[in-house]
Amino acid sequence: MSPAPLSELRARADSLRQAVRDFHATVMPADLRDKSHRHQVLSKDDYVRWMRLLDQQGWSVAHWPAEYGGKGWSPLERFAFEDELARLGCPWVIPFGVKYVGPVIYAFGSDAQKQRFLPGIKTTEEFWAQGYSEPGAGSDLAGLRTTALRDGDHYVVNGQKVWTTYAQWADWLFCLVRTDKDDKPQSGISFLLIDMNSPGVKVVPIRTMDGYAHVNEVWLEDVKVPAENLIGEEGKGWTYAKFLLKNERTAGAIVGWAWHVLDRLKRHARETVVNGLPLIEQPLLRNRLGEFELRFLALELAAYQAVEAMCDGSENGSEASLIKIRGTELYQEVMETLVEALGAAGVACDVEALHSAGLPPLGPDDAGGILKDHFYNRAATIFGGSSEIQRNIVAKVVLGL
Amino acid sequence: MSTDLETIGMLRDSAARYADDNYGFHQRWSVLARPEGYSPQAWSDFAEFGFLALRLPEDDGGLDGDAVAVGAIMEIVGARLLMEPVLASAVVATGLLLKLGTSSQKAALLPRLADGSLILAFADEDEAGNACVFDGSRLIGGKLGVLHGDVAGELLVSARDTAGASVVLRVGADAAGVSRRGYRLVDGRGAASFSFDGALAELLQPESGLSAAAALAETRDEAAVALCAESLGIVRKLVEITTDYLKVRKQFGRTIGSNQALQHRMVDCLLLQEEIRALTAAAQQALAGPAAERTRIVSGARAYVVHAARKVCNEAVQMHGGLGVTDELDVSHYFRRLMVNAALFGNRDAHFTRFTDAALAR
Repeated sequence: MSPAPLSELRARADSLRQAVRDFHATVMPADLRDKSHRHQVLSKDDYVRWMRLLDQQGWSVAHWPAEYGGKGWSPLERFAFEDELARLGCPWVIPFGVKYVGPVIYAFGSDAQKQRFLPGIKTTEEFWAQGYSEPGAGSDLAGLRTTALRDGDHYVVNGQKVWTTYAQWADWLFCLVRTDKDDKPQSGISFLLIDMNSPGVKVVPIRTMDGYAHVNEVWLEDVKVPAENLIGEEGKGWTYAKFLLKNERTAGAIVGWAWHVLDRLKRHARETVVNGLPLIEQPLLRNRLGEFELRFLALELAAYQAVEAMCDGSENGSEASLIKIRGTELYQEVMETLVEALGAAGVACDVEALHSAGLPPLGPDDAGGILKDHFYNRAATIFGGSSEIQRNIVAKVVLGL
Repeated sequence: MSTDLETIGMLRDSAARYADDNYGFHQRWSVLARPEGYSPQAWSDFAEFGFLALRLPEDDGGLDGDAVAVGAIMEIVGARLLMEPVLASAVVATGLLLKLGTSSQKAALLPRLADGSLILAFADEDEAGNACVFDGSRLIGGKLGVLHGDVAGELLVSARDTAGASVVLRVGADAAGVSRRGYRLVDGRGAASFSFDGALAELLQPESGLSAAAALAETRDEAAVALCAESLGIVRKLVEITTDYLKVRKQFGRTIGSNQALQHRMVDCLLLQEEIRALTAAAQQALAGPAAERTRIVSGARAYVVHAARKVCNEAVQMHGGLGVTDELDVSHYFRRLMVNAALFGNRDAHFTRFTDAALAR
């Protein structure tokens, strides 16, 4: 099947954006919308509710091929969907099931694995986490040391994973393990699905500077994993991981998040009057806002250019890295400026607590949430392939250096 | 109406081929040595290929080229550092004439523009304290930094009438009451300053009813967008040249491109190139769009591209080491060309201010 012309993909992306706006205005429950708009930390129940809502709209796995329950969205539609959700200040689409492991299962899994896991991923009946990084293997993922030794009809897994987001909620962990020690680093790796309820799995929360524990250590001690939970072939895990990474890096939400916080900063700058002059009219901040607007314009247009190249097959491999490098650096700087502009409220540790203690508000009621987001997203240039790794990739793949 | 992609591809290919055969960096030395600051031979070749009629309506033997078609040529102009007045005469001044000229003015000038016998320059920047005023028949005032003004046969001059309204005038560059001071720019092209002391001038009054102020704004935007495309051509070339150099230049027993510090900086140059490409394309589309959005996108593109191109060029010089500042290497010529372009048709700060006001008014 030849791909649809770009003009048609653009039209489809535009009508999808409209559908997302309608959904946000009329379908999304008020409490979830309010919590999300105030950048509050969501519970597992909130997220499960959110992911199921998306599924009810037919959106949770719309980027999958039709035969697995998707709609075969083009990269442009995927981008428009995530970008629009982020601009509206919606919760993020938790990627571990629908974006990461789902495609690996339908591309490389057995029929039994597809039937067993894909329906639960689509509906978030089962919650997934990603077991990739290890204490000695961060950016250098191929240095991972968790072992899986074949013993009859199962593997015995030993090792430690780290930075595992939502492991505390997860039913399943998709995991890179070493099944062969003698091979060169990449070829001894396999892709295993581990039931988090198995004996020997221990989750230890890691508290981050926002005061929460989104990420964890996952300790695996003599964990018995049925051999049928191996994806594809033993030793091919690195290939599947790279396939997954390609999906990971097409994330479009970063552009929308940057837009959202820039919009919030402008609103704050219009509403806040200092020495008789709104912040937006104060020359220094106005200059910074202009620079942010300009960098956003460049980001947005370059992102469209990149995503359209993915649609017509003219991509060179640098597109997703470009969006991530530029998007995260702009997002972080705008966030920093917003927190700074919030003044005392920007550094109050818990605005909600002040409210409930009957103290006068220090600032807008989303200030505490903005601060939490700021802390969380300081890691945006680190997770999902750090900015340095992205530059390594582009230097090698595109420049041939 | 937009120019079809096939025509644009042909334009691009023929300009690139011409430059390959006739305008190599070493062949260009002889052009730099010429008193005109460009090659009359190349200019008449461009006329023959139809580049100078790029913007003319099809009825006048032109291609009716849009901003994308102009950009295709301007990218080559930048990449190959062509010295001829393509931007000043064939793109900017011709565009203004097409918008505001009367039928008889167009009938008189367009054929001469197409065949290359006339170079038309757009004189826009007022001399401080000596702004151009038109009293209904004669022009008084001064203009600065007119690109290719040194070789122009005629000028289109922006001015105010006695009521303070914007007007555009046609003035002979050698007419009585016009004094011209020609000089060379740092990139080797020519320019001139003009003083008008009661020179006879002819008003451009279009049948279309478009105001001179609106036509001037469009023309300045078109110039900005054409300069973005020229910068894209330059930046692509600089990224290519510098990446190649990183692969061959050895220090400490290995290629300098094996150093991660330089790899990452080169990647940043590539990112800037891709942003320039996206902004240029958007600005080309925006020229045909609604005015407020046109202002935001065009001035945004121009403001971003000036800085981004300069950054890439500074990196190209730096990574070439001492060679980068020599006259012998093309990198220093790109450096000087970008310096000049940054000063033409509204500088970075002017466009940034305009962009910020438009963006924050949304």
